[in-house]
Amino acid sequence: MKNFEYFEPTTLAEASHLFAQGHAQLLAGGTDLVIGMKAYTETPQSVISLQKIPDLDGITTDSDNGITIGAMTKVREVELSEDVQEHHTALAEGASEIGSIQIRNLATIGGNIAHASPAADTVAGLLVADAQVSIASAEGERTVPINELFTGPGQTVLKPGEIITQFHLPSPASGSHYIKHKIREVMDLAFIGVASAVNLQNGVIKDARIGLAAVAPTPIRATEAENLLKGKGPTPELLQQAGEAAAAATSPISDLRCSAEHRKEMVDVLTRRTLRYALDRATR
Amino acid sequence: MSEYSVVGQKLPRVDAVEKVTGAAQYGADVHPAGMLYGKIVRSKHAHANILSIDTSEAEKLPGVRAIITQDDVPSGRRVFATDKVLYLGEPLAAVAATDPDIAEEAAELIKIEYEVLPVVQDVIESIKSSAPRLHGDATKDGPNRRDISAKIKKLADQVDSNSDEIRKLETELEKHTDEVYYNISAESHTEAGDVEKGFAESDVVVEDTYFIPRVHQTYMEPHVSVASADSSGKITVWASTQGPFAIRSGIAGTLGIPLTQINVIGTTMGGGFGGRFGVIITHVPAVLLSQKSGRPVRVQMTREEEFLDGRPAPGCVIKLKTGATKDGHILARQALAFWDSGSVSGASIGSTIRVRGVYKIPNIKVDAYGVHTNKSGTAAYRAPGAPQAIFAGESQLDDIAEQIGMDPVKFRLMNMREEGDAVPAGGSEPKVGYKETLEAVADAAGWWDREADENQGWGVAVGDWTNGCGPGGVYVSVHEDGSARIFHGSMDITGTDTAITQIIAEILTIPYENVTIRRGDTDSAPYSTGSGGSVVTFTMGNTAKLAAEDARRRILELASERLNTNEDNLELRDGAVHVITADPPKSISLGELAAYSLSTTGGPIVGKGSFARQPSTPALAAQIAKVEVDPDTGRTRVLKLVASQDVGFAINPMAVEGQIEGGTVQGYAWAMMEEMQYGENGNINPGFVDYRVPTSADLPTVESVIVEVPAPNGPYGAKGVGEPPITPTLATMANAVNDAIGVRITELPIKPEKIVDALKNNGHEA
Repeated sequence: MKNFEYFEPTTLAEASHLFAQGHAQLLAGGTDLVIGMKAYTETPQSVISLQKIPDLDGITTDSDNGITIGAMTKVREVELSEDVQEHHTALAEGASEIGSIQIRNLATIGGNIAHASPAADTVAGLLVADAQVSIASAEGERTVPINELFTGPGQTVLKPGEIITQFHLPSPASGSHYIKHKIREVMDLAFIGVASAVNLQNGVIKDARIGLAAVAPTPIRATEAENLLKGKGPTPELLQQAGEAAAAATSPISDLRCSAEHRKEMVDVLTRRTLRYALDRATR
Repeated sequence: MSEYSVVGQKLPRVDAVEKVTGAAQYGADVHPAGMLYGKIVRSKHAHANILSIDTSEAEKLPGVRAIITQDDVPSGRRVFATDKVLYLGEPLAAVAATDPDIAEEAAELIKIEYEVLPVVQDVIESIKSSAPRLHGDATKDGPNRRDISAKIKKLADQVDSNSDEIRKLETELEKHTDEVYYNISAESHTEAGDVEKGFAESDVVVEDTYFIPRVHQTYMEPHVSVASADSSGKITVWASTQGPFAIRSGIAGTLGIPLTQINVIGTTMGGGFGGRFGVIITHVPAVLLSQKSGRPVRVQMTREEEFLDGRPAPGCVIKLKTGATKDGHILARQALAFWDSGSVSGASIGSTIRVRGVYKIPNIKVDAYGVHTNKSGTAAYRAPGAPQAIFAGESQLDDIAEQIGMDPVKFRLMNMREEGDAVPAGGSEPKVGYKETLEAVADAAGWWDREADENQGWGVAVGDWTNGCGPGGVYVSVHEDGSARIFHGSMDITGTDTAITQIIAEILTIPYENVTIRRGDTDSAPYSTGSGGSVVTFTMGNTAKLAAEDARRRILELASERLNTNEDNLELRDGAVHVITADPPKSISLGELAAYSLSTTGGPIVGKGSFARQPSTPALAAQIAKVEVDPDTGRTRVLKLVASQDVGFAINPMAVEGQIEGGTVQGYAWAMMEEMQYGENGNINPGFVDYRVPTSADLPTVESVIVEVPAPNGPYGAKGVGEPPITPTLATMANAVNDAIGVRITELPIKPEKIVDALKNNGHEA
């Protein structure tokens, strides 16, 4: 590990100021950063811990079941939160897929998102929750919808000095589900990740959201597939069409994990499957 | 009740406490005063000419104490590449510095100029004439059509190389370009009977090509050594190795240093599986750096370096053909195998003959070649070569069984060799529990009334292996408190020290807890063979037995003096020597005898055992898996995995079960997920993110079934148990997947994508 200067600011303003000076990395849970530093793939001159800044963690639920999750909330807390499990099942399921329990007790949801891996396990769940991302800097605060946050692998719209502070999940869908395609049962990276969320009203799909991870340079929503579903009663044929439309929305790569073709096929299969689970939950 | 009181018991490991508390000293725990940190400088290309190596910038870096290249190897033996590198990560130089970061930085400052060459990483590509040659002359390198090239070689020894005869043969060679293999590192051929006749007489002939990937042993502890050369030239090496004595002779041979000027201290091993015998991987660089810097130096690999420059198990391609009659008799089997030996020779090509299995196959022909590729060399991995060959053999047996409509277990039982059958190597088959072991696993798994829901299936396979044997020495001393201490030089490999301790306690009739064991270094301990090839319990068990029996002789001698009676009247039991006929009973404890011995002419109780070789007996592992495949995603879940093994005699059944479970899980991993992957410039998954080893969540508890058909020469009948359990699992899994979804996967690992694609070819719509 290269030598670096370590800061523990106690206010966001101070952290943002330090962060804006460049050659700096934010330290949240450290489960990505420290590994990178040990492997010399990350060589920041300064490391700015967010640990001492108050009020960046925790999960709160408002009256219409909207949920706010602080960026420094441990992934394990997201996974185990009864409110998240109940109202944003896909997000809790995604959180439960990250690393091991030890890793989840360190890793934060803010870090998982700010790292901007297209394969991040919480991202599909946040996409289908329509999460609003709060961002703070010395210049003030702004909010960006999660589907506009990412610009490429490891890239976001975050400007120098900007720090993610929280995620707001507005009123929930009536059912959602996340499936990660992988080889190993636990502690694997997503070959692809698919989340679906639906609102059912009198047997008709009022609203549907499909979030896809690791099938494009950024996590994406499958909006055409979503539009196909809206206003219709769920039938196997409709789910089939949605799966195909979701697959068509992707632009995956072939890599050492699997081929682009396999990724597309799995988007099709897992979109249908997550929709079935989500619909099942919605009718329960 | 067992006739024994200590052997045959599930006793806790002698090293359990030090392992659990973290007290065990591994290589990375060794830190002599003034120690420097070594770093190996590695090639960034898989195949390139080296134009220059410039260390001048690195030498100027403060904290750098030594930099070495091949120029610093006085013997000239190849430690670092000089003119050409043959794989990504091949060592070119090494540095030692006062801090690991400085060593890392210095390594980056060494400038290497490469001329990049075309790369070949696939054996089937490598044998083609169009492939780049890794060694020797570009036009003639590589053995050619074997029979002709052998003739040329023979002739060349006798006559002038320009003779007409040789030229004629070379012209003949050119006509057979499709039979000419290039980049061949070694070959092995076996033939018995007449395979063509056998196939002609067969009702069913199945032919397929099997692809088995290169896999890493993935021991938990990466290679590490600490070397210290003192001013007198004496060298001490703390080595994480399976064989300290082999490392001692390896260093002596490589560097031209007298053998006994080197002391190798084996540190507690964090796994080996056959991959921890290498001399030049870290030990020799550490010695050279210490000699140059005058300070102790640690060279420790990262996990990435393990994947780039470890010595993994070879991958191979096996073309296999089997013929059988419709009533189930195997008549012929033929294999052509290409083993990926990497940049050097040495893949387990001889193991190809294991396609024979434990079956009566009257006609067999095996041609195997080692093929050079731009990868690191290979080494042993738990029954080297057997899992690969047996994967092909046992997969194909199931296809035959299916075609003739016979139960796979019955088909195997029917063809298994029996005691007294002629064996290929000569002589006759000893008593081995082939059928007993297969029947045991079938019964334990519920094979005969097996049920399977949709997309579920059952697979069976068997694999055989015979433990090795080698020299060893053991001393045992009995102390005045009645306890015994064992001294030896063999590395503990997952319970072998425990087995040795149990054997000595058994013979001396003292409680297991009263026997302790200590391993010496190569300066102090008697010679010991390396801990690989399932040798330790067989070899060191026999050696320990001899040592304990020697001690018992002295004990009885002392007791005879002390109790004033003939030795024939004495019996050693419960830690004391008893006069058999005495009434009232009369006895003397081992402690009293040990105390007494100190003032005798004959001296203390010291037993010595020394042993080298006795014929071993084959062992069989038989396994059954039940799986469920998700046909839409291709993911496979193991519902049941049962493993039986003929272990001869289980000296510690708990440790034996551990070996069965461990080997089976490694076989499962090779079947389902492990694979070293190669891109255009070498290994692309050098780490545990994309080189997957299973976790406990991937498998149900492996159910172990111990079968005991004693080996005549094993201690208490024991056979080596470490290697057999990995041998059948690759095929077990493939056969279960085939049974579940009707798809024969011949290319490992059985990743979801392969299942999805194969099912799609069969017309399945997700």
